[in-house]
Amino acid sequence: MIDVRGLIKRYGSNAVVNNISFSVAEGEIFGLLGPNGAGKTTVISILATLLHPDGGAVSISGYDVTRQANRVKPMIGFVPQDLALYPTLSAFDNLSFFARIYGFKGKALSDKVESSLDMVDLRNRAHDAVQTFSGGMKRRLNIAAGLIHDPRVLFLDEPTVAVDPQSRNFIFEHVEKLKRAGMTILYTTHYMEEAERLCDRVAIMDHGEILALDTPKKLIGLLASGLIRVKLPSDKVPVVAAGARDLPHVREASSQDDVVKIVTDDPLSTLPALIRLCDARSAAMLSLEMLEPNLETVFLHLTGKRLRE
Amino acid sequence: MKGPSMLNQICALTIKDLRIFVKDPAALILTFLQPLMFILIMSYALSGLYGGGDRPIRFLIVNQDQGRQAAAVIKDMQTIKSFALETTWKDAPLSRQSAERLIIEGKRNLAVIFPADFSAALEQGPGMQERRTAKVIVIADPALSSQFVDPIMGTLNGFIERRSFMAMVPKGIDYLYEASSPVKPRNDRDAFKAQAERAMEGGLSGKENKPVTLEQVSPPGMHVEKRPNAFQQNVPGYTIYGIFWIVSLLAGSVLREKREGTFRRLLIAPMGRAVMLIGKLLPFYMINLMQLIFIFALSKLLFGMTFGHSVAGVVAVSLAVSACATGLGIFVAAVARTEAQLGGLTVLLLLGLSALGGCFVPRFVMPSWLKAVGLATPHAWALDAYQDLLVRGYGFAEVLPKVGVLAAFAVLFFVIGVWRFRFE
Repeated sequence: MIDVRGLIKRYGSNAVVNNISFSVAEGEIFGLLGPNGAGKTTVISILATLLHPDGGAVSISGYDVTRQANRVKPMIGFVPQDLALYPTLSAFDNLSFFARIYGFKGKALSDKVESSLDMVDLRNRAHDAVQTFSGGMKRRLNIAAGLIHDPRVLFLDEPTVAVDPQSRNFIFEHVEKLKRAGMTILYTTHYMEEAERLCDRVAIMDHGEILALDTPKKLIGLLASGLIRVKLPSDKVPVVAAGARDLPHVREASSQDDVVKIVTDDPLSTLPALIRLCDARSAAMLSLEMLEPNLETVFLHLTGKRLRE
Repeated sequence: MKGPSMLNQICALTIKDLRIFVKDPAALILTFLQPLMFILIMSYALSGLYGGGDRPIRFLIVNQDQGRQAAAVIKDMQTIKSFALETTWKDAPLSRQSAERLIIEGKRNLAVIFPADFSAALEQGPGMQERRTAKVIVIADPALSSQFVDPIMGTLNGFIERRSFMAMVPKGIDYLYEASSPVKPRNDRDAFKAQAERAMEGGLSGKENKPVTLEQVSPPGMHVEKRPNAFQQNVPGYTIYGIFWIVSLLAGSVLREKREGTFRRLLIAPMGRAVMLIGKLLPFYMINLMQLIFIFALSKLLFGMTFGHSVAGVVAVSLAVSACATGLGIFVAAVARTEAQLGGLTVLLLLGLSALGGCFVPRFVMPSWLKAVGLATPHAWALDAYQDLLVRGYGFAEVLPKVGVLAAFAVLFFVIGVWRFRFE
């Protein structure tokens, strides 16, 4: 459904998206994960015909998003990170306006608006100004506006930012319902737990590049049963990293700056052996972390930094 | 579902912005009540003043008098520092025709014409059977306020009466001497006094049949049936000032759409950017027209304002000036990047252009260089066009060139605005 090949986007000499490729199958929820500034919104903006790429090819349902934008636009829906609504108008007026823009008229228009309000559970507030809504209600209306024309592909850009837990759950359930209905969804977030719950596959992005792309299960599987990170004086890092590879249950040991990273099948068995190793090499442990395997830890493992740093 | 039509999308965009507008009390007050408030307050506040300052009031003098009395009145008037009398134009003596032309061209706005028989009328003796009457003509641009013209008329009248009295006194004395000779006894004094009073009333002052009268007229071609009052003169100025506040609303709305991401959402919809822009401008153009109808209707109801002889002319000027204001709005929206920039630019432009264009202070009291600068504003052309129609009594054909200039301003603003406009 979505095909991205060698996509490049530059601002001046700075490449914010640097030669990335991925494809999304029809009915799949595909997650773009990464911290702020990773390039996720730029990718989604290019897919949504808002930005022109500087290189590569991007198509949706076989139509090139740059040259055939008029073909692409009717089939895509966009739920932006900002609450792209008119705050002084009512929920009903907002949805009516967007429905008209997509060609709805008369009874079809009012039916569509009412069903959309039902869908996001805002029927009882239909005629209240949006500016009187809570953050979660606004987010739900924002989603309804993006879905008003029944798109085949939906772009959800950080839809749960600043949302209360109740509305977040509502959004999750709604996205799952859309998936069941066969909609193709591209979902950007920097919350790994959302990606684990919702996405069929995820691409982890940082500095405009895709660092890993797979199902959440396989990505988490990269960390076996856990990750141990130990910070050491920099002159001791190479010897400890080399020794750690021979410790029990260790799958992989590597270093990044002054940190030794150890992927293990049994962290509780590996840890005492690691302590003995450091002692034997006279390497004083400056800090020690034992992390359970999840996408957050995968990101830390791949980039050496946390998602919300 | 049928595909969206451009017209339907433009309608949707227009209705949306009109809905947002009516839900914004501040915008409603700014658009509809602010100009009215200015008209009301400024008309009363400035009712005693249109001239003023240190610069003298300039007006033209055409002396056709074959005697010496008009020259004496002119000399008297020249002693008043606040008057600057011009008897020549480009070194050539003024005629009535040349004075009228200068007023029509807007180079001067008032001329006093002393007739050929002015001295003869003043110097005629008392007791004549056939009395001569001369008429001093004051040609005034109808756009001048009566508060400006009336003091000049009063001063002129005072000087003429004084000159009239002085011219007639010697002849009156001769008349009295003749009427009373030979010398009458003391007990006839009462009869002498009565004779003198009759001479003063019927002969010297002329009583109801004054030897010289003043008449105020408009230049030829201007069909003024009634002199405009302060409201009639202020309504066009403050209306134009009010119309251009649409710039603030339009540019503010564009910035909000950018900030809140609604433009971004619309850019993804199957809709051309031209449709988006038309849909953005049309409601504000319509608000401008509603604003004009509102102000003119209320001015007619409350202040008795009349609309001249050409409704088509008023409509044409209104359409053109509204296009200018909307065009300036898109220009400002294209230039301003933040709310702070927008606020500063709007105040600077709107107050500056209104002041230069004569909306607050009539351009005729400005120095000539400032008047020339004012012509670079659409406000000056719009104000002049409205005054042509509303107070000078001109018709559609006469204001057409000014409508053309306003249309050119509108095109210029639109072209620059659209060229610089960014949806994100």
